[in-house]
This record gives sequence, structure tokens and C-alpha cells, in this order.
Amino acid sequence: MRTGHFQETTGQLIALTDSPAVIGWTGVLIAGLLAAPLVVGNYELTLMVTVLIAVVGAVGLNLLTGTTGLISLGQAGFLAVGAYGNAVLMVDYGWPVWLSLPAGGVVSALISLLVGIPSLRLKGLYLAITTLAFSFIVSHVILYAEPITHGPNGIFVNGAKILGVNVQKGPALYYLTLFVAVCVVLMVLNMQRTRLGRGWLAIRDHDIAARAMGIDLTRYKLLAFVVSSFIVGIAGGLLSLQIRFINIDVFGLILSIEALAIIILGGMGSVAGAIMGAVFLTLLPEAIRIAFNLILTPGSAFYSTYVYEIRGVAYGAVIVAFLRFKPDGLIGLWRDARKYWSNWPLAY
Amino acid sequence: MSFLKLDGVTKTFGGLTAVNAVDLTVEKGQIYSLIGPNGAGKTTLFNLISSIFPVSAGRITFDGQDITRTPTHAMAGLGMARTFQNLAVFKHETVVNNILVGLHSSLRTDLFSAAIFWGRARREEIRARERAEEIIEFLEIEDLRDLPVGTLSYGQQKRVELGRALAVDPKLLLLDEMVSGMNQEEREEIGRFVLDLKEELGMTVFMVEHDMGIVMDISDRVCVMHHGSKIAEGTPAEVSADPVVIEAYLGSRSRAA
Repeated sequence: MRTGHFQETTGQLIALTDSPAVIGWTGVLIAGLLAAPLVVGNYELTLMVTVLIAVVGAVGLNLLTGTTGLISLGQAGFLAVGAYGNAVLMVDYGWPVWLSLPAGGVVSALISLLVGIPSLRLKGLYLAITTLAFSFIVSHVILYAEPITHGPNGIFVNGAKILGVNVQKGPALYYLTLFVAVCVVLMVLNMQRTRLGRGWLAIRDHDIAARAMGIDLTRYKLLAFVVSSFIVGIAGGLLSLQIRFINIDVFGLILSIEALAIIILGGMGSVAGAIMGAVFLTLLPEAIRIAFNLILTPGSAFYSTYVYEIRGVAYGAVIVAFLRFKPDGLIGLWRDARKYWSNWPLAY
Repeated sequence: MSFLKLDGVTKTFGGLTAVNAVDLTVEKGQIYSLIGPNGAGKTTLFNLISSIFPVSAGRITFDGQDITRTPTHAMAGLGMARTFQNLAVFKHETVVNNILVGLHSSLRTDLFSAAIFWGRARREEIRARERAEEIIEFLEIEDLRDLPVGTLSYGQQKRVELGRALAVDPKLLLLDEMVSGMNQEEREEIGRFVLDLKEELGMTVFMVEHDMGIVMDISDRVCVMHHGSKIAEGTPAEVSADPVVIEAYLGSRSRAA
């Protein structure tokens, strides 16, 4: 049993962690992530980039849905806005990528105000429907605003350079995504331990009491929309760099569902949960692919023929299983495990 | 100059008049109790004072300021805090975080300093946390501070809610049925806290209460409401002897006989 854990200053109480073990393991994780391109192959590196982009997107959505309790089915819309914002500014206007990427986030944040304002009076399912409608409107606008977005032709996103290095492939893209992901995670963790984060949580748990405690609902809900969409927009920008060709088909409804699935699996409201969920759900299809390859005879086309169906079924099964058996998500599993070991050999 | 003054305050919901032209005055440093049978409009009146509902007619002034049309979230900044009749705690959050939410309007951290969490934002958080710890100590809930409020007992949750209201550092504290559902020991503790607030901190306390024991023991003044109207006001002794009040609670003698 872990005992003798005391804090001596209030500064330690509000620190992200004061446990040497957590600091040590985070250091190991970061070092491992930094060294990864030296060890792993190209395919694995691409997969890691996908995971990191999912992490950025999930942390963004989690701020809105997990922390503030505003359910959004419009993530695909915000991702699309961020991706197109980045792509258009970079390709058509020649902005450097270090500027166009955050600019894509800003565009996404501004557009989120359009959804945010009517959504102020809506809660739960009504908000989910509104945001869903928003993502459809976005894809229609992108489709028909041909002079800006190239409409159905899509955009080829090529030649993004930072300091003369092409950041759209290999280790460079990986390091860029890792940098963004780490920044976003730190930013959100910091916000959550100030009055902003507490304000959002208060709105989620009891909005009338939140108002009585001095929290301006309008302001804080819009703030949640803006910050969340900024982050998701940046994830969209990174996505456009990775896949190098974007059109509206990339940003379908399934993407919004996946995003929501990630934070449900991870555990709503927790940044660590969102990260775990993103890793888990992004790697799930990969695990399924490997499993099928082991079971099926070599050369069988079964998996490649039904890849989308299999993936959909797997997502559904995993979500149902988590909601039924572990509604706290992966972070809940983690907390249980930690509690078990820190109390061991006592039961509690 | 009265501290809290209600002037002909009325609230109608469609055809129903829930609060009918209520005038009342709470002086600074008083413990003022509002009692009345169920459905008398006490909680509605509280919701009007704390601006959760807009008034249909009348005027409310607080500490020399007209607050009739002030938005709900501005009330904490003006120095008014409240608890709710049916627990309104943030139940997924820890006790500390619940109390810290009460400090919201005294903090200034903005989006950018929050994201960086360095310098001013960090110092402000440390100060807030120290203040929260003081309140936790005052309410004697040190051992609960890191537990999610939803896992606590009803009496403990009520105490956290009181702590959250105290974190606002209010000049006027509105307590809506603070001791309902509590056992005798818990009631006495709450009564003692309220007296401490008045005597040590000079706080004005306005409470809606069904528990006559606590009302009669600690109130300076008592106001009685019935069917949305004020029917009596005075010291606890005066009110409990008032025939109109007895009739409202027990029915009239002629009908009873």
C-alpha cells in the first residue's frame, strides 16, 4: 500500500502531478516517442502520425463534449474547415505551413461561433442534431464554393515546408504532429485546472448552480466551442498534410461518430482518457487486420473486400461493450488498476 | 438603508401567481428566516432574489443597488451566494473543485494565461486553493476533499454546497432548506455554522426553512408566506403566537371544530 504521500506547499497541490513515478514515466514516453522514427519502419510511422492526429482531434472534442457536456456530432465539419483552411491558404495563397495550420484552426474556431450561438439554448440530443446538420452544411458549402475550395475536384496538398524541410512525409511529419499533440495536451490540461476548466465542468454537471456561482453560460459555452473547434481545426490541418489530397468524401458522418466513440471509450471528460481512446480506436482496425491475417488462409480477399463493414461492426461492438461493462471507459480501467495496486494488499 | 429590500415583488407563471406583491426588508447582519406551508412560494421568491427567474413586477435592491434585472451570473460578483433546495452540487467533481467553482468570480485568469499556466495564473490558482482549504477546514470536511461529491452522503453534500456558497465570500447568503433530510446532529452542526457566519464574519443570512427548531433558535426575524403572499413578519416569538400564522399552518379553529 502506498502511504506517506504528503504535499508541503499549495503549489504541489495544483501541479499536474507531483509524483516522481508519473514524471519519470512521462519522460520515458516522450523519449520513446522522440526516438521512434529511428527504430520503426515507414508503415508504423504513418500509423503513429494517424494516432497523434486522432489524439489532437479527440482532446479537442473531449473539451466540448466530455468536459462541457455539449454533445457534438459535427466534428467532421470542424475537421473539414480546418483541413480546407490550411490547404487553401497554403496551396492557393502560398502561406507557409506554420502559419496556415494555426490559421485553419482560427477559421474553424470562428465558424464554430455560428453553430455555438444557436446551440446556446439547446442541450443533449437537440444539440447533437444541430451540430450534425452543421457538418452537412459545411460539406455542401465546400462542394459548391468552387472558386475557393475547388469543389468536387478536391485539393492536392503538397510541398509544406518548415525551415526548408518537407513536413509531409516521414519523420518530419511525425515530429510536427507530435509537437502539436504535446502542445495541445498541455494547453488543455492547464485550462482544466483553472477557473475556465472548472466553469466548463460546472456547466456540464449543473448549469443553474453554475450560473448562481457567477459563471456566464453564454460566454463559457461559446468559449468551449471556440477552443474545441480551434484544436479540431488544427487536427484537420494535420490530416490534410498527411493524406495530401482532400475532398469532402474524407469528412463523412463516420468521422464524427468515430470521434465520439473515441472519447466514450477513453472516458468522457478526461484528457488522458481521450488520448487512450484515440490510441485504442485508431489501432483497433490494425489489430483486426492482423487478427484476420492470422486466421484466414494467406491470399484470402475476405478482409480487404469487407474492410469497412468489419471496421464498422468492430466499432459498434466495442462501444456497446464499454457502455455496458465499463461506462467510465479506458481511464476508468486505468484508475481501477491504479487503486488496486496502490492499496495492495488491502482491498481498499 | 436596508440591505436587501423587496418592493411589491410578483411572479406569475401563466395564470398562476406564485409570489404576490411581497415586500420585505433584511437588515445587515441579521439571520432572517422565511417560512410557510408547502407551495407558499418561498423557493420561487429565492429564485427571484438570486435572479434565476425574472420578476414579473416589483423591484429588488441589494446593498444599495437595483438588481431587478441583473443577470444571474453577476450576482456572485455582487456578493450574493445561495444553496439550492434539492442539492445542486457538481457531483462528478471533487469536493475541492466544487468549492473552487464558488471562487469563480473572484478569479481573473483568461484563456491565454490559463493555457500557459505560468506566473499570474499559477499564483492565482495557489491563492484560490489556499482559500478553498480554509473553507474546507471551517466546515470540517478535510478528509473528504478529494472525493467526488456524488459519492458522499446527503448531509455531507449539503455541507459541500454550503462551502461552495461561502467561497463566493458573500455579503448575503441565501440558504434554501439547508437542514432538510438531515439528522438531529447534522442539523445542530449546520445551525452552529450559520451562527458562526453571522457572529464571526458578520454575514447576513436569509434562509428558507421548514425545520421550526432551527428557525426559532437562531433567527433574528421571521417572515411567513402563504399562497404567495406575506402574511406575517416579526421576531420568532411574535410570529409563533400570531393567529394568522397558526391558521395558515393548522387551519382555522371554526373549521377544525
